[in-house]
Amino acid sequence: MVPVDSPFYRYHPVTRLVLLVFLSVTPLFVDMPEINLGLILAALVLLRWGRVRMQQIRRYLPLLATVALFMFGVAFLAPGDRAHLAAFRLAGLTFYFQPMWWAFVSYCRLVAMLFGAILYFSTNRERDTLVALRSLRIPFAVSYVAALSLRSAGMFMEDFRTIREAEQARGLDLESMSVGEKAKLYTMYTVPLFAVALRRADEISNALFARGYTLSGRPAGGGPRTDYLRRRYPVERRDRALSAGLAAAFVVAVVLGKVMGVFSDQLSPLHGAALRTIGLR
Amino acid sequence: MSASRTVPVSSSAAAVWTVESGEHRQPGIVHVVMLALFIGIGIVVGTLGSLAIPIGFVSAFWPGQAVQAVGGVWFGWWGVLAGMFFPFISNALSGSAPIPVSAAYLPANFLQAFLAGAAFRWLKADPRLQSTRDWVIWIVVGVLLANFLGAFWGTYVLAWFGMITQSARVTALLGWFFGNSIPSLIFGSILLKYVSPMVLRSKAFTKGWWA
Amino acid sequence: MNPAVEVDRLSWTYHLAARPAVCDISLTIPAGEFTLIAGPNEAGKTTLAMAIKGLIPHSFPGRRAGVVRVFGEEVQRKEAALLAKQVGYVFSDPEAQFTSLTVEEEILFGLENIGVPESEIEHRIRRASELTMISDLLDKPPYDISGGQKQRVAIASVLAMDPEILILDEPTSMVDPLGKDLIVEICAELRRRRRLTLIVIEHNLEAFAALADRIVLIRGGRIERAAAPREFLEDPEFLERSGVYPPQVTQVFARLRAHGLYRGPLPLTDEEGIRAGDALLRGAGA
Repeated sequence: MVPVDSPFYRYHPVTRLVLLVFLSVTPLFVDMPEINLGLILAALVLLRWGRVRMQQIRRYLPLLATVALFMFGVAFLAPGDRAHLAAFRLAGLTFYFQPMWWAFVSYCRLVAMLFGAILYFSTNRERDTLVALRSLRIPFAVSYVAALSLRSAGMFMEDFRTIREAEQARGLDLESMSVGEKAKLYTMYTVPLFAVALRRADEISNALFARGYTLSGRPAGGGPRTDYLRRRYPVERRDRALSAGLAAAFVVAVVLGKVMGVFSDQLSPLHGAALRTIGLR
Repeated sequence: MSASRTVPVSSSAAAVWTVESGEHRQPGIVHVVMLALFIGIGIVVGTLGSLAIPIGFVSAFWPGQAVQAVGGVWFGWWGVLAGMFFPFISNALSGSAPIPVSAAYLPANFLQAFLAGAAFRWLKADPRLQSTRDWVIWIVVGVLLANFLGAFWGTYVLAWFGMITQSARVTALLGWFFGNSIPSLIFGSILLKYVSPMVLRSKAFTKGWWA
Repeated sequence: MNPAVEVDRLSWTYHLAARPAVCDISLTIPAGEFTLIAGPNEAGKTTLAMAIKGLIPHSFPGRRAGVVRVFGEEVQRKEAALLAKQVGYVFSDPEAQFTSLTVEEEILFGLENIGVPESEIEHRIRRASELTMISDLLDKPPYDISGGQKQRVAIASVLAMDPEILILDEPTSMVDPLGKDLIVEICAELRRRRRLTLIVIEHNLEAFAALADRIVLIRGGRIERAAAPREFLEDPEFLERSGVYPPQVTQVFARLRAHGLYRGPLPLTDEEGIRAGDALLRGAGA
């Protein structure tokens, strides 16, 4: 659920897309977990600033927890060639530092990238994504497909909920069902969506034909398509400044991170502290 | 009397893919619309499946692969495109993979969507799964091979991003493989068996790859 | 001058159908006429309308015979965008034709498709939204409004394209009574303001009978009757047997006439009914 009013909306949709790219891609070039933790914090601050209801973020917590469990569990159970790893004991169990540390580095990177996407989807409506794509001169047919996909996902989600609520109104008790029964029910709910999709495809394509739409999106008589919507979203100086700043920050991160190795995980203060804590330094 | 070395294609199976004399097929608006709607369905199925039983990135139950496979069978390249791109959004919405990871998954998603469609067209299998031959082609290529190759690439991506260790790749591959194959076998089979008759009558169904 | 629509011995059979949906239909609609096409379900009304719009055969596989011309040119030979400029089509289910995220974009979509310049777009959106009384809905998602509002949005999105022919397929079928009245009002306003050729498909004649210049009855894929409303409604019993329901006031006075209690012309509207009833009570219509 995107907030009705948000300071994010003062920025052009392309600027917000640049922010998504920055937050999602920069962590790839940064191994130092402090930097990625800083990016996570920045995303959380922006979510708060953007007036996103923080309860919405809570729904990601179980997944983040299971991801952590998975990654550290794999690092514990399958650390690799033990002969070349530094072992330490904790709570009676033997751990190996390098895979555990690398799991931590990767986890910070991953969560930073995830929060970039969470921030974007929590603060951008479908229309914003569409305007961003059209502003980037993406072919109309592509941006139209993107918009229709997002819109139809909402419609199908609504249909799915309606079917489930109708079943619950007839006494279906989901809580008491086993995983297998839930999976079977889920299958039954989603099959009608395909029938609905076929009907909608016919209806929408007829409607598009009736309104003069062609496969390429080009208007009658050729020439470029008018883009009236983009006119409503002017690019301001703050958009140019922010986009330039993010692009510059990204270049700096790549250069410092991968070319010069400044953001190497080995140089991380946390790395040194961890080694000292477990007595390996 | 010797047994036949080849299993003949049933006339109805071949007819599904044969462009009849006088029949004129070309890509149209309905295909573009179906691409969008199929991405929409994939987003819903993929997101709900990932949230249902999340176990890190290797979801124990991802029916999204069934949508990828049947999309390739029913709608050719349009279905393959849908299968490649809906995971971007479903992964982002469910939080199961950030965008760069989803981008790296593209070859896996391509194979998972493409192979079933290719096998059905080249080997003239009936999407309605009417004979044993159709079932064998679906299970061997559309479910097992597609998910094995998808899991192989996907776990390579996971290791590259540091989400799993190299030594865990085999375990992760098995988890990915079964996590996709089981729902694909159940859900995909139901879709092919019971929804294909409707799809075959629709304008969006592609006999070739684009129309 | 060419008529707006010429249907010349049109037959159409849908793919896999056993019998034709329309059979050997010929019909000429002059420019500026309001034609009401009536008939029971599955009579072929929508098929005929879609053939005029070009949806048949473009979007539907099947077998066709005969020709449909719009302003002298065969529909099948026209490009989609040109057809969209000349013939507007509003489907019976308004939600089925929504393709955009807001009402304004819904209206805008068709304008961009037909290449309307940016300088003219705002004026067209405003004009269409004022005529259909949806100016306060422009920022809303089109699927988040009432049935009547949806239908008016659908009409606005077609009207903005300034077609010369407007086809409304059962425009009041999915709409509440208040919404129906508004749609009838829009049609009446369109008749008054502009020389638009209007084709409305309805099986309930209550709302549109008095507005139409001509009513065409289609049954079993064929035209059974075509006449001006007063002449068309002269035999209400025949119409009811044909699955078409004349306005209630017409039915009442037809029954009075059948019992020898009334000899005047059958009223089409409640106002005419009141005047006829008044005359009857004063002894003038008996």
